[in-house]
Amino acid sequence: MSEAKLVTVTINGVESQVPAGELLIKAAQDEGTYIPRFCWHQRMSPVGMCRMCLVEIETPRGPMMVTACTSPVSDGMVVDTESEEVKKAQEAILEFLLANHPLDCPVCDKGGECPLQDQALAYGPGESRFVEIKRSFEKPIPISELVLLDRERCILCALCTRFSEEISGDPLIEFQHRGNTTEVNTFPDLPFSSYFSGNTVQICPVGALTAKPYRFRARPWDLQKVESSSLQDTAHPRIEIHASQNEILRYTGVDNDATNHGWLSDKARFGYEYLRSDQRLTSPLVRRGGELVEVSWTEAIDTAANRLDLIKSEDGGEALAVIGGAQGTNEDAYAISKFARVALGSNNVDARLDDALASHFLSASVDRATIADIDDADTIVVWAPDLKEEHPTLYLRVRRAAQELGATLVVIHPRATGLDDRASHKLTYRPGGGYELLDELANGDHPEVSQAFAAEKVVALVGIASHADGPQLAESVAALVRRKAVHAKLMPLNSRANTYGALDMGLAPDLLPGRVGLDTIGCANLAASWGDIPAVIGRDTRQILQGLDSGEVRGLVLVGADPINDLPEPSIAVDALDAAEYVIAIDLFLNDSNRNADVILPASGFSEKEGTVTNVEGRVQKVNQIRPAPGQARTDWAILDDIATRMGVSLGLASAEGITKEIATVSPAYEDLTWDSLEWDHRDGIVVPIHGAQAINHIPVALQGSKAPTAKLTLHVARVMYDNGVRLQHSPSLHKLGPGAVAHLNPGDAPSIGARDGHTIKVVTTRGEGEFTCVLDEGTPTGVVYVPFNQQGASSLGSDPVVRVTTS
Amino acid sequence: MGVIREFIKGLRVTGGTMLRTITGEELVTTEYPKEMRQKPPRFHGRHVLNRYPDGMEKCIGCELCAGVCPAKCIFVRGMDNDPENPTSPGERFGFVYEINMLRCIFCALCVEACPTEAITMTHLFEMSTTNREDAIYTRETLLMDEKGGVPHMFPDDELADMDELAVADGWVKATAPSGMASYQGVKMWQGTPGPGDWDPEPGQSELDARSPTEDDDG
Repeated sequence: MSEAKLVTVTINGVESQVPAGELLIKAAQDEGTYIPRFCWHQRMSPVGMCRMCLVEIETPRGPMMVTACTSPVSDGMVVDTESEEVKKAQEAILEFLLANHPLDCPVCDKGGECPLQDQALAYGPGESRFVEIKRSFEKPIPISELVLLDRERCILCALCTRFSEEISGDPLIEFQHRGNTTEVNTFPDLPFSSYFSGNTVQICPVGALTAKPYRFRARPWDLQKVESSSLQDTAHPRIEIHASQNEILRYTGVDNDATNHGWLSDKARFGYEYLRSDQRLTSPLVRRGGELVEVSWTEAIDTAANRLDLIKSEDGGEALAVIGGAQGTNEDAYAISKFARVALGSNNVDARLDDALASHFLSASVDRATIADIDDADTIVVWAPDLKEEHPTLYLRVRRAAQELGATLVVIHPRATGLDDRASHKLTYRPGGGYELLDELANGDHPEVSQAFAAEKVVALVGIASHADGPQLAESVAALVRRKAVHAKLMPLNSRANTYGALDMGLAPDLLPGRVGLDTIGCANLAASWGDIPAVIGRDTRQILQGLDSGEVRGLVLVGADPINDLPEPSIAVDALDAAEYVIAIDLFLNDSNRNADVILPASGFSEKEGTVTNVEGRVQKVNQIRPAPGQARTDWAILDDIATRMGVSLGLASAEGITKEIATVSPAYEDLTWDSLEWDHRDGIVVPIHGAQAINHIPVALQGSKAPTAKLTLHVARVMYDNGVRLQHSPSLHKLGPGAVAHLNPGDAPSIGARDGHTIKVVTTRGEGEFTCVLDEGTPTGVVYVPFNQQGASSLGSDPVVRVTTS
Repeated sequence: MGVIREFIKGLRVTGGTMLRTITGEELVTTEYPKEMRQKPPRFHGRHVLNRYPDGMEKCIGCELCAGVCPAKCIFVRGMDNDPENPTSPGERFGFVYEINMLRCIFCALCVEACPTEAITMTHLFEMSTTNREDAIYTRETLLMDEKGGVPHMFPDDELADMDELAVADGWVKATAPSGMASYQGVKMWQGTPGPGDWDPEPGQSELDARSPTEDDDG
């Protein structure tokens, strides 16, 4: 973007240079003059609804009142924001707004942080001449499962309606009626079921929209606050954690240019309830005679370390393995990596759960796109999971780029996605048939898409769109994009929030901390501090599980992982964990995978520990602690350090900050990264590699031949925002929002199967079968059965695309 | 000689006061606890949570008292009223209400902050306990019963003066709108806890009409 032209404006007698064309309200704010406002938001288009920002400007005809939020600055503009006339106008506007606004501040959730309250105090007349009866409505009405509406508090600023229309693309809340009876409401029989509904609660300048999980839980002044980054979104949106009495009560979005612009998905906003669940593990458990018994930490660590030591001495490190680490901090991931390599002597370590792209592709630094690149792009290619479901922050950024910034958007997905209405070109393909489409694109069969590739700045977001596709397709897509657009930047996408940090810390069988492979010089670099580490590439998650089943792998450490529910092919995990000789689990909850473990150690969760995390673009941000962990729960790194010490190996991990310092010394990509710089100079984080990093020189794999399934129906399994993951299971407000056991069919396919909307159908694949509620939806193309992954009450179908559907 | 005269002059004051005390003319000590003195009307004693005449609780759980408390000794949590069987008028009621009397400095800022005049102070000051937990007054202890009686933490104690619990302080009268001269004769607040209606407080003109000495009694 070229440097904007500057113009001179005089605000309250002070001359200043501001960018031409900027809105007066923004220019004044940047120059230090606050103009009161309700309806203006810097991330949305101005409407001039509330009239609170009236200021006086000099015109040839004398002073004139204008709304600062709709007036762009012009050269030589003379503005007065504090004249008698302006004050009179502000008092009048506030008196009008308060004419119908109820004075129930003591029971209103917004009371204490309410812009209307604050501005009535600062700019209001102090008295009202309105003595008539205020309007009243039935209150509060739930407009969705998460948001409540008190219409009589609404001042009609249009922030919520503009947000849902312009930003999130779910225009489900709108003004109704005219004039005196205008009110904001949802459409009849259509709830405000947006994935981003919580944002309207945060931006509402009065208490008209309130969040059900927070309602009446606390008042703003008794909240302790700390800034952090959400680990329920791969972009790690910046949040502020609000807690009272050691209980987390809400998250709010922090406006920053780097990631989220202040917006949060409802999962990232309300996904804190699990932390205060009474099901949390609070003391170490050891299995004795088939029963789990509470024991002391010393005893639990002893038991675990002795057994690991025994297996290591009998069969060597190859018989031990670690799965997990993608949900915690980088410090925890580093500890897991060091524990596996140094204490266990094994490269059998993986943070991905068999549903991820190759480690060398995910952690490649070459031509990696940043989130800011999306704003600059001429063409954005999304061949990935539905961003709205899995990567909500990226969804909002891509949506904005296509809608506001004029990027050409190409979306390729087996069915309808949230971005379709803004996509310039949308291609669908049969699940499992991605290569066919890839060949077509390579041959130039879709000229409009080829034309889009010819643009100067191309950003491609690639990931596993459907479980049927497998991880290689995404790499081939990347290869194709790079072939068509040489300077294209790539953003490989993966589920689970801190996978990128985990891989940067070496939580893959072929990687070491700092994005270096086992075979490179990085190995020598590490050897100095780690000592001897095994040189053979270890097993990935699938191979570990197969090894457990066959007995080659005897001991497994699960760190915050639930393979039985998270693996696309759960049967592998079920068999493996059944056959496993010895399982140690470090987790927040008992889950299906660790319920039969031999030692279960309670871990501290998000907001209970400090550390750093790395998001999808490689941005390292700090996460902070606000509450103590429940009971005797401890951090992952402390537990692993203790186990290693008891095994006779010193890992030398003493504090989370100490680990960050150690990472900086051993990992070139994280050089110079300190907590101080993240807390003070770079609150929005730093994109690694900072400098001097050795990137893995990754050349994407060549295109492979087609292997499209020939079956009449193909199965598309994909993750959705609300699934049956263990953290959502213990977050009651969000858990009920999952779609449940449903199978989507195109209405055209229904008659031949005999399926009807809402009726039960039976879906059978080679890996599993189950009964699902049929949903007929136009977004699913003919010949495709779409089943959301890991839903409550749904049986797993595996990832094989061949499927048979019958009415049961 | 002058020295002795001065000496006697000085002792005369002491002796005179002693005699007047023995005769009871100038007695300042009372036989507490056998004999209780009347406290000044605006005495800041133990808190009480009031009810409306219909028995509904006045507290709406807004936490303004907790917010204004300089000793941070009040803990309040609100909750949704059951629409069928509400505890207080409106949507929200004080679900948890705790005051740590060991920390309380009896400044009555909570009374002043309360938008519904739910919390007021009584004249009870004997609150010694034998353990710290008993010094945390909960909702059960603070809230008056539906007839207007106020629960006493230790009703069997010989110091327990139940009458004092029926007298609320007059602090709010001096500061809240009902203390404004222009609101004279308006029934807005009652000076004592308990359900039922009281007469409106006298207006400013009535007070002005009284002689200064009459008004000076406290």
